[in-house]
Amino acid sequence: MNLGPLSRLTQRGVNQQDVVITHEDVDRAHDRVRVSAARAQRGPFSKFRLLWLLVGPGILVMLGENDGPSMISYAATGARFGIGFFLPFVVLTFCMAIVVQEMTMRLGSATHRGHAELIFDRFGPFWGWFSMIDLGIGNFLTLITEFIAIRAGLGFFGVPPWAAVGSALVFLCLAVAMHRYWTWERTLLAIAVFNLIFVPVALLTHPNWHSVGHAFITWKPLPGLSQDTLIIILADIGATVTPWMLFFQQSATVDKGLTTKDIHLGRIDTVLGAALAATAAVATIIATAPLFVHHMTAENFQGAEFAQALQPLIGRFGAALFALGIVEAGMVASVTISISSAYAFGEVVHRPHSLNLPVAQGKAFYSVLFLLAATAGAIVLIPGLPLVYVVLLVNVVAVLAMPPALVFLFMLANDREVMGDLVSPLWANFLATCVVVFLTLAGVLFGVSVIAPNLFAFLGGK
Amino acid sequence: MPSKDKGHSSITSTDQELVLSSLEPEQLAGLKKHLIPRRHLKGPERFVIWSLRIYLLFMIVVVFYQVWASLH
Repeated sequence: MNLGPLSRLTQRGVNQQDVVITHEDVDRAHDRVRVSAARAQRGPFSKFRLLWLLVGPGILVMLGENDGPSMISYAATGARFGIGFFLPFVVLTFCMAIVVQEMTMRLGSATHRGHAELIFDRFGPFWGWFSMIDLGIGNFLTLITEFIAIRAGLGFFGVPPWAAVGSALVFLCLAVAMHRYWTWERTLLAIAVFNLIFVPVALLTHPNWHSVGHAFITWKPLPGLSQDTLIIILADIGATVTPWMLFFQQSATVDKGLTTKDIHLGRIDTVLGAALAATAAVATIIATAPLFVHHMTAENFQGAEFAQALQPLIGRFGAALFALGIVEAGMVASVTISISSAYAFGEVVHRPHSLNLPVAQGKAFYSVLFLLAATAGAIVLIPGLPLVYVVLLVNVVAVLAMPPALVFLFMLANDREVMGDLVSPLWANFLATCVVVFLTLAGVLFGVSVIAPNLFAFLGGK
Repeated sequence: MPSKDKGHSSITSTDQELVLSSLEPEQLAGLKKHLIPRRHLKGPERFVIWSLRIYLLFMIVVVFYQVWASLH
């Protein structure tokens, strides 16, 4: 029986008087009409058309996480350890990210609720606020590092810090000024793909492909176990799996309007994003590996210093591409992380939170987004701030905050009352448990290295 | 009939029809004010969550110590 829309609402137990139609709904409905039309089409390109319409949150979250501090971590990895263990290790971390992010996409498609909203509703405000505090602190610290990266990257071209921060804020305003999720997503996707600029930089270093292949197959040469190695390992994990990604992808999935019918293509979106981001990450390690070969110390390098150090090896053009890559990484992530915070804020205080909102209806959403970014940008301008260490530590803190965040995600994805038949299958639960255990153990090992360095040295065979 | 929110006067009845026919009820922004029923955590779940919370707080102290030690 073909029920009319109002009858369908009544059948679902919704009082028609409760239904308030907003501009946000109208914009999302237009997007869904195009998806439905593409799904109804037959022909060789219909599947690609549907995929094109549905990709976005997965690619954006993965390329967004290839942010300023992440690219600097990968660059530091290549400069400290060269080509070896870390190439396959970074790919493994992206596999972990796929396991985790698939759950958020499934949750968003099934419940049409953001992650913060679900935690508050389902587990109550006590645990909800804990999660929000973790997210708020993590996002703010990460935002600071994005501005550090932008400042460092533009510094290579002689742009003064105030102008670098100012241009990043202007970019943020322009990115959200369209007041339309679809337009914002497509624009940011086009810019985010620029993350692959690290691939030509890697090619300019004329890498030894035999060594690259050998590293992927054997995971060797292995780095020695030391506290420095551990910090790089944690920084590389934190460069791939962080709490803001959970909140962002689920909220973006809801804002885009994905439904349970779209889950399969949502998975492809997530895997595609991980593949692109892993390619850029591996390319960055390969690009800075010559610094390791030439025994150049890179302990206190920011983005611009890596570019300057690479200049004698790959020329001014290659170095400029590297610096631009760092700027792009910081710019895109400053947008996605600010939006992740604003989404979570709106969900928790039950204020409108969508990129489809006109400014008049989304004052709180846009204010949080801009104020967070502006404050983080202003902090970067404080003279004498120890910026270098902050960058690596932010990724370490992200890894430490991940297990508590993952447990809530795990419980929600297995909550039959919320998810129905879309609860996580056994294999997904096994993989998610492995990720939680792995992240927790990595954190514990870091703790041991700080508190009991002798025991750690013993574990490392020294 | 569903109502239009204040400030949404430009929404036409065609728009309303489009929204109601193409979005699932739970996707409507206005209906998100309805809370999802609360779930009470079981003993083992509380144990895991509290353990990880204590782990996080402890590790943050470790990180601060590491920063302090590095700066000195």
